[in-house]
Amino acid sequence: MAMGRDCERSQDVEALGNQRSRREGGGPLAAAEPRASWLSRLEHAAFAPVTETSRWYYLWVAFLLLVIAWGVYAYSHQLREGLIVTGMRDRISWGLYITTFVFFIGISHAGTLISAILRVSQARWRTPITRMAEFITVVALVSGAIFVIIDLGRPDRVLNVIRYGRWQSPIIWDVLAITTYLTASIAYLFLPMIPDLALFRDRLAGRVAPWRIWLYDLLSVRWRGTGAQWRSMGTAITTAMILIIPIAVSVHTVVSWIFAMTLREPWNSTIFGAFFVAGAIFSGIATLIIVMAVLRKVYHLEEYITEKHFVYLGYMLAAFALIMIYGNVSEYVTTGYKLEEGAEFHFRQLFLEQFAGFYWFYFIGGLVVPGLLVLFPRTRNIWGVVAAALLVDVAMWVERYFIVVSGFRVPLMPYEPSSYAPTWVELSIMVAGFALFALLITLFVKVFPIIAVWEVAEDQESIETAPARRPLAPGATLDPAEGG
Amino acid sequence: MSSQIVVKVILVSIALGAAAVALAVPASASHVEAEITTEGPAALQVKLRSADQGLPIANAAVTLSADESFGGVAGRVELGQASTDQNGVATVRFHRLSAGDHQVRIEYVAPSETEPEVATAFVTMPGITSQVYRSSAGVHIPGLNVSLLIALVATVWAILLSVALRVIAIARAGADAGAPSPQPPRGRRADKSISRAGATGGR
Repeated sequence: MAMGRDCERSQDVEALGNQRSRREGGGPLAAAEPRASWLSRLEHAAFAPVTETSRWYYLWVAFLLLVIAWGVYAYSHQLREGLIVTGMRDRISWGLYITTFVFFIGISHAGTLISAILRVSQARWRTPITRMAEFITVVALVSGAIFVIIDLGRPDRVLNVIRYGRWQSPIIWDVLAITTYLTASIAYLFLPMIPDLALFRDRLAGRVAPWRIWLYDLLSVRWRGTGAQWRSMGTAITTAMILIIPIAVSVHTVVSWIFAMTLREPWNSTIFGAFFVAGAIFSGIATLIIVMAVLRKVYHLEEYITEKHFVYLGYMLAAFALIMIYGNVSEYVTTGYKLEEGAEFHFRQLFLEQFAGFYWFYFIGGLVVPGLLVLFPRTRNIWGVVAAALLVDVAMWVERYFIVVSGFRVPLMPYEPSSYAPTWVELSIMVAGFALFALLITLFVKVFPIIAVWEVAEDQESIETAPARRPLAPGATLDPAEGG
Repeated sequence: MSSQIVVKVILVSIALGAAAVALAVPASASHVEAEITTEGPAALQVKLRSADQGLPIANAAVTLSADESFGGVAGRVELGQASTDQNGVATVRFHRLSAGDHQVRIEYVAPSETEPEVATAFVTMPGITSQVYRSSAGVHIPGLNVSLLIALVATVWAILLSVALRVIAIARAGADAGAPSPQPPRGRRADKSISRAGATGGR
């Protein structure tokens, strides 16, 4: 049966090649056979994560579940005893939970924003990585939103934000922005996946569990690939990708306003919104690079995710590192030049005392070194870019930590500055949150197409047909990598 | 000896007289008398007049302050500043002063003087059960309000709804096309080409 389908597909591809050749006035495409072979490998690469399961997969999932179970135990302890089991008190009332929330909301920009920008700019090299970027967004938003509820001592009161919320409050804006962004992100993940879900529905029948086929059938919304369906999907994707860019910008701007609209000296910044958005894209790119590297290695996607993708994303990483350095200099030089009383306290704790280690690691290890790793030719490779991405992600979490905690530490009244140290409960729940993030990605990859198959195929087709549309210059040769 | 006694009696009389004058007015210093009264729950009125002729002192800068404590921190809190009018009256509006008796420090500079003079007076603020002062923070820009926020959010969700309607359109088009058939991975160009050639049906 499968062989029969393969034959049919090959015939389709050949028919496509012949049709194009006739239309363009040439003979049969010499590349028809290699293209069939290429498509076959693409199919295999897309199906492999779903159809093949190794023992390591189960061990990895079991490990993640154990970590999450420990986190659930820690959270149950917090529910029983109250927030007193955390290091948070009245003077420093935000800690690891809000830090991790902001971090996850930040990396959620990985996806949709990067994917949407690359799609809008028609960067063809994006096609093998857009799907990963899009599901990172959804998974990060889900993981991040949980931390807001965990930060509430009484999670049963979470709906009070809606019931008793005030439109004037940035908290309400945040709830609105994040729910809108989550909905738009799910739509933006789902829309380009429809043809691939139909492919899975048609090709994997009998090779995977019936529930999966039922799921693919349901989610592929009767996709047959008709012209009307392509047109509808094209319109929907265009609408979603244009809409999602301002939504994503608004999300992290509003998250920053939760800080900047509070009367705290370190958060009195007009550039907080822009600074947070830049930081979000920065950490989002880094997370995408790390996820790409892991999935490439685990599922043998070397043919599709090449060094070129890492280097290009590395360039974006370096560009945003420069923007972040500029933001730091601009913010702290202007504030430090005036150096009001609260600012002096904050500068001391940030640059010289309690948070100096965090800050200088962030600045040097998270901004300067990653930029250099990408810019030096010797380290401008997969390993160099992945190392830079790891540094950036750790540093950006650290940045959120000292923004949150140091902001609360500046006294509002003449009292002794308070201190904050996370407890085992907070650390356990935070680690469990990261485990949940990894587990959701693992499960997503196990069920849904990891590569945007039709987009990669379309990209390849356009590369192969492009020289036929444009007369080649005398002496020119056909380069398959053209346009990448 | 008797002359010394007379001098002492005169000095004591002067002192007692000065003390009597000082105690006779709510607050006074040198040649100016100051009266303080409450003007509503959130304002104090100060009246300055010359001690000798009782004439109002106009255009005098007045600063009111009081000793307060909050959260274990005590200190002098400035209540406000104002200038006296032609009747010698200055009205100072302030934001926070709890109910009860307060000792208010009145500092003023008379028009003909260069050094400020200080007097103190007691004022009783009436019992307050509701919020005295309501913040008017922010700049009210016409049209920039909650309605705009709701309109913005509603627009975004309406666009998202249009995306959802496109998905329904895809499902309907699929239902019209008939039963599914196995498809190769391909893009839109391939589909259009195949459709034109009639290579496969229902795609």
